[in-house]
Amino acid sequence: MNPFEKIFNYQILSRLENSGTMIITQHERGWLKLMLGHPAAASAFEPDTLHKLRAILTQDPSLDTDGLLHKAASKERHVYHPYVRLIRQAIMKNAVLQISYLNKSGEASPSQACFPYKLEYSMVKREWYLLYYQISNRRLMRSKLEKLLGLVELKCTEALSEQYKASIHTLLSRRSVSADILIEPEYNGELSRILYAFSCFEKEVSYAAEANTYTIRLFFDSSDSEFVLSKTRFLGKRVRIVEGEHLKRRMLESATKALGRYAETSG
Amino acid sequence: MARESFDKEIQFLRMLVLTSGAYNRQQYADKLGISVHTFDKTIKRLKEIVNAVYQKAPAASGKELAETIRYSYLDSSDPMLLFLFRAKSLKESESQRLSLLLAALHDEAMTVSELLDLCCSSMPAELSLPDEKTIRGDLKYLEQVGVIKRATGARPYRYRINNDLVRELSHDELQDLYDFVDIMANTQLPSVQGYLLRDGLKKHIGREKEDLGRTDSFLYKYHYYSRLLDEAHLFTLLSAIRSRSWVSFLYFSPKKETSYASKNTNPLFEKDTDGLQETMLPLKVIYDHQYGRWYLLGHHPRSGIKKYRLEGLTQIAEGTTAEETLFEAKSTELEQRIKHSWLIDTGRTVAVKIRFFHPGRGIPSFVKERVLLQGQWGTITEESEESFIYDIEVNGTIEIKPWVRSFGSSCEVLAPLKLREEMIAEWKEIRNYYESV
Repeated sequence: MNPFEKIFNYQILSRLENSGTMIITQHERGWLKLMLGHPAAASAFEPDTLHKLRAILTQDPSLDTDGLLHKAASKERHVYHPYVRLIRQAIMKNAVLQISYLNKSGEASPSQACFPYKLEYSMVKREWYLLYYQISNRRLMRSKLEKLLGLVELKCTEALSEQYKASIHTLLSRRSVSADILIEPEYNGELSRILYAFSCFEKEVSYAAEANTYTIRLFFDSSDSEFVLSKTRFLGKRVRIVEGEHLKRRMLESATKALGRYAETSG
Repeated sequence: MARESFDKEIQFLRMLVLTSGAYNRQQYADKLGISVHTFDKTIKRLKEIVNAVYQKAPAASGKELAETIRYSYLDSSDPMLLFLFRAKSLKESESQRLSLLLAALHDEAMTVSELLDLCCSSMPAELSLPDEKTIRGDLKYLEQVGVIKRATGARPYRYRINNDLVRELSHDELQDLYDFVDIMANTQLPSVQGYLLRDGLKKHIGREKEDLGRTDSFLYKYHYYSRLLDEAHLFTLLSAIRSRSWVSFLYFSPKKETSYASKNTNPLFEKDTDGLQETMLPLKVIYDHQYGRWYLLGHHPRSGIKKYRLEGLTQIAEGTTAEETLFEAKSTELEQRIKHSWLIDTGRTVAVKIRFFHPGRGIPSFVKERVLLQGQWGTITEESEESFIYDIEVNGTIEIKPWVRSFGSSCEVLAPLKLREEMIAEWKEIRNYYESV
């Protein structure tokens, strides 16, 4: 099944949009059939819906991915979580959630009101997180769905939800940071690999032709600094953080401590 | 449109996405192995499509186009690169006709002659009118891609739209379906067809009920956005594997400066390309989650097992079919050889032993959590309060090294000695980078 089909052509697409026509190709149904075979499907739908979907797709061949292998993937903890549907509905309704969760020391937190704004799936940890605004102390929080002990949906007035959204926006923009990472010119031959490694971030690349150097500016949420550091260590001496004091200090600390470990056992 | 053209567009977009506008026109053209004129023409065409698909204001330069298709975790959940799969070009009259037919069949089942009448009366005056043969050809194509089907009943046959998937579901069920498609397209492979379906459902839901149009509740961090571009080749290769066919292609190693070369039709301008013309029997396509890159592994008549990066493949063509016994034998051999590959290394197997350190008393061990999550088939032994030992038999140490290094000072390589020494040397160099901090 070649995805370059004329049926997907952009002019057809916009004409169908104008006439309100919904089409579904065999490619898409084959893909859906393949995905419905994933265990996640059971928690994504009501049993009746799942049954109906499978019946509709009986005649369609499933997308064949026999020759495809995955390497170095994180184990998939879950793709769906029973709370995903409930929380998504709450987000769409601009509702407030009363939640309690298991904190880091393993105790249940007191129940608290929060305004949920996104459900985040981590491709690294392979699990879901709830991103929310904690109303009592006006902070942005992130909790694993796995750690949620219970949730109750509460109504929220439009005025309040708008106010929460504005606060979220302000807090998020305050947390947005950037770092400049220089590719050591002797590793320019590995440019493609390095750019691929950073391609999961929002970024800008600049190229200084005379010096033949590339600098990558990454934009990220300050709470993701650890992930940026882990990627930088991943690439080792090929890259060097040139802007971002905190990150530079952390890299020095890592290198010094790592060498300390080796010195202890070798010496 | 010839395949050649998509190769160019894919290489072009990949470079734009990866370097996000770092180069000027001349530099881009040089790196792509095309002329500045071709660069300008390609960018113009891509912009037209992006603007039509996403109703964005026209972008003026490569940098602006890169900006337009840049993925923003906060502002958008649409995979902008999907527009590449909308790029198959079509004659104006054909796109008019197909759209007319589909819109008509959306409302009721119709026969060929009814559809012919409808087309003749609704086509814009400046376009030529279709005959019955053309309409039959169109219907055959639409039936083949599965968007319409023949309704039950006697001749003359009636055709109807095949979108039971949305017709038979309630609003709530549709929303659940949308969520499922969104989540699976974003977290599983392959994803292109999923994204296309997501696109259609999103528009459909928005039309049916406007307040349901809000579909951006999910965020996926951090996924490799450009993996979509390589999926363009995936299906051709999977289908070749399925049919045991040899394939040939022009390969550009990603380590080379040039990543594409135009196929010149005028022999006077023909120049030697840096690409390598290869023929091989494809056996496996591997997705590397560490870098978000794709590999093709197969049997090469002279070199045995050979590996290619999907991003370097251009002008892929399917050839003759191989003997099943050859395919089986080579597949089994490959499976054996990559059994212990961290990624795709088929070199000698080494025993790697690493001590990992817990972050400290009272802190949940995110180190162990990560080793369990990403350590593939390695095993954990000798656990104490401070540390644990991780053992793995792996082909070579090159591919596992970045992963080990990413743990920073939370680990210490114990064996092999060579890897241990390399680690020490690298940390020394890295310390030198930052010593002035």
